[in-house]
Amino acid sequence: MSDTPRALRQPLSLRLGSAGFLAFWCLIAAFPIFWIGVMSFKAPVDAFASNPLDVIFGPATRDGGDGLSLLDIVIGLAFLFFSIRYAMTWLPKMVAQHSPGGQMIAGWIIAAVGYAVAFVIGFFVILPFVLGLLNPILGPLGNPIVGLTTQHYEAVWVENQFYNNFTNSLIVTVGVVTVSLTVGTLAGYGLARSGSNLAFWILIIALVFRALPHSVLVAGYLPVFVNSAEILRPFLGDAAPTLYGQPWAVIAVLVSINQPFTIWMLRSFFQNIPNELDEAARVDGCTHFQAFRWVIMPVMWPGVITTGLFSFLLAYNDFLVTSLLLDQSNQTMVPAIAGYFNRETTTTDQVEAVAAAVSITAPLFLLVMIFQRQIVSGLTAGAVKG
Amino acid sequence: MKLKTILMAGALSAVASMAYADCAVDNEVELRSLTAAFEAWNAVTAAWEECGNFQAELNQEFRTVQPEAFAANPSLYQIGGVSNGTITPLLNQGTIRPLDDLVEMYGQNLRPNQLIRINGEIMAIAMMVNTQHLMYRADILEDLGIDVPTTWDEVLAAAEVIQEAGVVDYPLGATLKSGWNIAQDFNNMFLGYGGTFVNDDGTPNVNTEAGVNALGTMMAMTEYLDPEYLVSDSTYVQQQFQQGSIAMANLWASRAAAMDDEAESQVVGMVNMAAAPLAMEGGAPATTLWWDGIVIAANISDEEAAAAFQVAMEGLDREMVEANNDAAIWLVEGYQAGRLSEGAIATASAQPAPASYPSTSQMGLMHTALGNELPAFFTGEVSAEEALAAVEAAYTTSAQEAGILE
Amino acid sequence: MKFKTFAAFVGPSLFLMFLFIAAPLVSVFIGSFQLTQPVLEQVEEETCTPGFVTQTCTTTMVTRPILDEFGEIQTTTEWVGWTNYTRVLDPEATWAAISNWDWNALMQVDFWAALRFTLMFTLVTLPLVIGVGLAIALAVNNAAKSIKGPIIFVSLLPFIITPVIGALSIRWLFIGDGILTSALEAWLDQDIAMFAQAWTIELMMLFYRVWHVAPFAFVIFYAGLQTVNQDTLESAIIDGASRWDRLRFVVVPHLMPLIVFIALIHLMDTYRVFEEIVGFTSQAHVISLQWLTYDFLQPDDAGNRAFGRASASAMLTMVGIVFLLIPLLRRTWRDHHGGSH
Repeated sequence: MSDTPRALRQPLSLRLGSAGFLAFWCLIAAFPIFWIGVMSFKAPVDAFASNPLDVIFGPATRDGGDGLSLLDIVIGLAFLFFSIRYAMTWLPKMVAQHSPGGQMIAGWIIAAVGYAVAFVIGFFVILPFVLGLLNPILGPLGNPIVGLTTQHYEAVWVENQFYNNFTNSLIVTVGVVTVSLTVGTLAGYGLARSGSNLAFWILIIALVFRALPHSVLVAGYLPVFVNSAEILRPFLGDAAPTLYGQPWAVIAVLVSINQPFTIWMLRSFFQNIPNELDEAARVDGCTHFQAFRWVIMPVMWPGVITTGLFSFLLAYNDFLVTSLLLDQSNQTMVPAIAGYFNRETTTTDQVEAVAAAVSITAPLFLLVMIFQRQIVSGLTAGAVKG
Repeated sequence: MKLKTILMAGALSAVASMAYADCAVDNEVELRSLTAAFEAWNAVTAAWEECGNFQAELNQEFRTVQPEAFAANPSLYQIGGVSNGTITPLLNQGTIRPLDDLVEMYGQNLRPNQLIRINGEIMAIAMMVNTQHLMYRADILEDLGIDVPTTWDEVLAAAEVIQEAGVVDYPLGATLKSGWNIAQDFNNMFLGYGGTFVNDDGTPNVNTEAGVNALGTMMAMTEYLDPEYLVSDSTYVQQQFQQGSIAMANLWASRAAAMDDEAESQVVGMVNMAAAPLAMEGGAPATTLWWDGIVIAANISDEEAAAAFQVAMEGLDREMVEANNDAAIWLVEGYQAGRLSEGAIATASAQPAPASYPSTSQMGLMHTALGNELPAFFTGEVSAEEALAAVEAAYTTSAQEAGILE
Repeated sequence: MKFKTFAAFVGPSLFLMFLFIAAPLVSVFIGSFQLTQPVLEQVEEETCTPGFVTQTCTTTMVTRPILDEFGEIQTTTEWVGWTNYTRVLDPEATWAAISNWDWNALMQVDFWAALRFTLMFTLVTLPLVIGVGLAIALAVNNAAKSIKGPIIFVSLLPFIITPVIGALSIRWLFIGDGILTSALEAWLDQDIAMFAQAWTIELMMLFYRVWHVAPFAFVIFYAGLQTVNQDTLESAIIDGASRWDRLRFVVVPHLMPLIVFIALIHLMDTYRVFEEIVGFTSQAHVISLQWLTYDFLQPDDAGNRAFGRASASAMLTMVGIVFLLIPLLRRTWRDHHGGSH
């Protein structure tokens, strides 16, 4: 900081104010999420207690025989800390080393999934086992002081087979991101390189589509989706599918709903890539498609990743479309959680829903951790200039 | 979360999947059902799944999908779960089949009481009844020397005494969440005051003395309620009971078992049930009777229907009821009425008996209109008459749209 | 670029948008001028329903639709002009309320109540989101390098979390004796019910939306701050501009296009506010335009849906969006014809 010009150096009051504001913001940003995390580990009586200390220490949970000792907490926190440390430092290095050039994304995906699985096994299986052996030996250090139970997670993942919903979410999300980007980059490129009035009007109409309330559209899908076998029979014969409950039909709907945003975003990225680049390629004898594939795409990755993240969030978080058009066996996670609330619930159901909610937030955590730098640099590179 | 418990859970689920043996029929037809998702349905659909080749879908928002799914050809589901409210669209569309033949062949264990007949044809098989009735903290009422209230005036008087004694946060609880719930509470009270919702020609008839009285009594209740009553649904009231913060409420019979659930409730054994209070002397209890049951789709082959019906009967048998006795007021043979069901039975057998919730298109429209327009009265924006006039106007508009009124 | 090539690039995207957005939209537009009704008849029906021990049978007149030879409900569809629109807007009650200067009466017409809340919500959150987003971006930009990463991570959480779950997590903090309500009660020493009156609910909804969207504004602004021209900043310093002046005359103008971008995205998203209404169960006190459409479309127990009115309210919502977008459309038109990117 010593070589900062004097005028840029900040008075103490400003620095304190700025730091204080940041601390306050981080508290607000994280607290609700932290709190549902705490709730999900408590017995129902504790989770909805009005005294915050009861929620944190969970006396009823502890009396129920589930608790953490001082030792558990210390070792658990240490484990968490080092896992995050490694995820930040060691993991990127390994990926950079072991994935062949150009396959960084695949490398990241494999590494992230592998790391997550290793973490889950380490934290939820090996650690409890070891601590279960250690606690009785250590006397007072091993006595439970904080009530904590994972019964709700067990109920969600084991009894209610939440992993089915997880797989469905994965299918829908991966489908949406892939199709959305494929279709969107093509259109974004076309729109960015065409100065015609048609392109302008397409963009304007897309903008209006972007602004449409979804419930307007979605309600129209249901009768068509349910009766699609009957409607399509004249064309497809007996092979006509019932679209209701089909993940790929939902993927198509989500991709379409997301298209306006995708093409706008990608168009602004493409506009920042100089026209000379593809013109040069065209002079060398490439067609538009070849220029697009071999010259433009390689420099587009930051934009594509940023846009892809937004598509991911949309597909992963969607409730309106998935809850209406998927049946139980193909349901994704968000409507499945809403199902816990919609039925005639008991308090236990609600805490299970909280546990499920925390479970579906975890992958998002991971995602942001990994792609955080990408988001900022991607936005710096493209969208913010357009 | 010990390793042991995980292994145990795995072992348990393995046992559960081997339990096919419990089902007497060996089902070989692919079957699917769409039902609501409360406790009783969990029990019944679990029993169905034991028969194999069965996929149960439980969804509390089933009514947004069910009419369309049954109208498709072939129907997307063979078995549907309905109540006396939600059977209406299926009857209107003619997408459920008469069950007389099937009952004759496979329904030996059914009681006559379970057969829902419309114009003499059996259209549905009821499995349970439900009603809203008075739940009260027996210990509090005894301590304060209050008799169990039988009318709403007595309920309010008792609430006043409890309020003064200050033993709970709020003397009363009520399911007044805007929308379906508040409309249902109004329905109860309105019928209790002897009102009729629509005239014979289909015009609305709620802006009447009965309507104003019903709103008056409900407003009187609000003094003793948690001020957040416009967001309080059955689960919320149930939680208030469980946490010991209310002393009385007119709540669904299907919620009774939760009061004695030791994992959640701090008032185990202290909550008793009594008949729904009367709104006026000599009237019926201010509540409605509901049934839940199953229907079989029309747009499926007869073989599928036969298989579906047999499986359905398998779930509605003595074994299932004995295993889940407290989950509902079952109509199925083998049900043991206990302390928890006293109130519901007293309500259902009162003289004059409370009305069954009317399953008509008009009632559906009226219910929506009530749910949308009544909250303005409780927020103090309009008077009772204005609110009821707004209900009638909203009903008239939607009835005209639906073709029921000219 | 030749038209054919252009079509090949844009085709798949257009096809999807046509199939799943434009086509339903056209049918909604047509539907808003139509009324489809079943052909009904009155029949006498005997219904037997269970009591606990015995059945009660009642005979009543009920309305049933007539089925055609295929077993489908017979319907008639007619053009009704603006009827659906007048049913949504209720011009009679509206005029009566306006001519009496009776705000309360005007708010009894659902559409105006929804419009009032939607506009209020949109216009109040807009400056808040931009202000808070900018403040966080400046503060983070100012923070020591070592803690930037974790802070950006924490800041992004409210944005990425599933909206339904975000809304619920805030709701749990306040509902009944939620811990924050208890804390407020202890602090102010009085009984507080956050869900009992309109203004507290609106306050929570505003808070939730700012909490949820400010991180998006933050990350965009933060990206923008990385590209502020250092030379301009330095020459401003040489000219003796104060910190505040530099922010006002250098940084903010540099971020202006981004502010416009965020404002537009935010206008569009907030205008269709919906999750908050459901998440905070506010329908007794406040409703929004999209919720109104949704509510018309929700079937009641008897399966009735108000398709006509839903279509009309959807089209009215759309008209509102087009109005909001006009400034942006003009700007895009200029850009497009200025054409020098």
